[in-house]
Amino acid sequence: MAERYSTFQPHGTAWLLQRVTGAFLVLVLAFHFFLLHFVHHPADIEFAGTQARMSQVSYFATMWLFLVTATFHGVNGVYAALINQGLTGTRKRVVRWVLILAGAALIVQGTRTALVMAGV
Amino acid sequence: MSTQEQQPPETEEEAEAEQAVETEPGAPAETPGERRRRERAERRTAERAPSTDEVEGPTVHLKVYRYDPEVEGKAEPRFDDFYVPREEGMTVLDALMYARDHYDSSLTFRHSCRQGVCGSDALFVNGTQMLGCQTQISDLDDPVRIEPLPHQDVVKDLVVDMEHFYERMHAVEPYFDPDDEPPGEMEEYRQSRENREKIKMATRCIWCGACASSCTIAATDEQYLGPAAINAAYRFAMDEREGDDRMEERMGIVEQEHGVWRCQTQFSCTQVCPKDIPLTEHIQELKREAVKQNLKFW
Amino acid sequence: MSEAYDRGKIEDYGRWREFSAGMWAWVLHKFTGWVLIGYLFTHIPVLSTAGTGEYEATLQTLEAIALVRVAEVGLLAVAVFHILNGVRLLFVDLGVGLEAQDKSFYASLIVTGAITVASVPTFMQGVF
Repeated sequence: MAERYSTFQPHGTAWLLQRVTGAFLVLVLAFHFFLLHFVHHPADIEFAGTQARMSQVSYFATMWLFLVTATFHGVNGVYAALINQGLTGTRKRVVRWVLILAGAALIVQGTRTALVMAGV
Repeated sequence: MSTQEQQPPETEEEAEAEQAVETEPGAPAETPGERRRRERAERRTAERAPSTDEVEGPTVHLKVYRYDPEVEGKAEPRFDDFYVPREEGMTVLDALMYARDHYDSSLTFRHSCRQGVCGSDALFVNGTQMLGCQTQISDLDDPVRIEPLPHQDVVKDLVVDMEHFYERMHAVEPYFDPDDEPPGEMEEYRQSRENREKIKMATRCIWCGACASSCTIAATDEQYLGPAAINAAYRFAMDEREGDDRMEERMGIVEQEHGVWRCQTQFSCTQVCPKDIPLTEHIQELKREAVKQNLKFW
Repeated sequence: MSEAYDRGKIEDYGRWREFSAGMWAWVLHKFTGWVLIGYLFTHIPVLSTAGTGEYEATLQTLEAIALVRVAEVGLLAVAVFHILNGVRLLFVDLGVGLEAQDKSFYASLIVTGAITVASVPTFMQGVF
């Protein structure tokens, strides 16, 4: 059976991660929308309130995971959509790196913002 | 059966007139909607004219896609109208054969067994892929619009190039390759009833290509194996008698980037399959199987 | 692929009238997905004003614009559909209820519509 694994392909892992992050995002996105549109209205948001929420470790961790999983889910989804459209060769490699860098930049900036919000 | 054999000349002229309009250089392109309305208006006038009185009794109005790159006047695709006497139990294939035999012998389409087994006559009828021999005219709205399968090169009229489809079918190595033979020389290689049930639907594929034609991913991603090929892989992957080595090799093919992962569960293939094979279900099961194998590795 | 002759609308999405439930679900899931990733990439820069003192001002300026409020309702609809259809797709991936995939799509649509309509008062508070 060892031979079997020499053909190991990463595509199944990406597919699985897309599903796992999707399942997580279903809950967190619903929570996020509910909290910041129905409990707190966006027009009334003040930095103090944001800071109070973000200084809770569990809330901070949830929001940071939300950022990372949403970025992966979105960027990987865009990549899959482009492969479905028949993207191949050099253009495919370029698109992949552009998406990876954009995703990384978003996570870095999001993390910095989150740290500012938490008052660290 | 037939009283009048000739198709009304009006429609011939109409087709030629239409062609002239289409080939006119520099003419602004019509939107599909405008074109459809114009065609409908023209058809209505044509219909009131002799056509329906020439054939006694009710008729079926066929609008058939025509294209022949080898004949100058036919190199620009067009639709021809045929009025075929309606008969009880008539299929789309029957109507096409009547039109060919009585009106225009150059009308070209594939057919062989006429009973949904050979898979030759998958057509695009009123916007859906179906087998001509298996589709009752009475189930369709008039006029019946018959086109070659989308997303494949048209060779002539309703005949499409199936080469790419066959290539993908062969790519998954769709043949049985057990590790060890049964003991006795004349022994049957038996399969459990449950296992037979599991792969039963998958074995029904007739390679007609309707599924691949309906799939938008197969249309844009040329390397995607497509529903039929993945189903063929499923048929052997789920067969308990299949040998380990071949199984590994086949799973390796199926779980490539352009294998099962490209399926977007649109269910188009499942809906058009003339053999009612649950293609999406089979593709999904192979996805889960591939993930399971990889998780075991971790 | 069609080098010989481009058959125009039957080769692409021009035949949308013939789309079935599963196909519509895919089209909408993809569309809402693009909207959400686009939103995420603008959401983070807007929030980056946090701590500079412009945070409240930015949010309040945006929230005072009626069009932004309408767009937010749109965003809610998009998010709710993507969530509900995403759950449907998870079930499809698990091989559960494949024969009801069209009904579950229609259900996602109806629930999305209901939630969106019910949320309009909350979203429009104080702007009109």
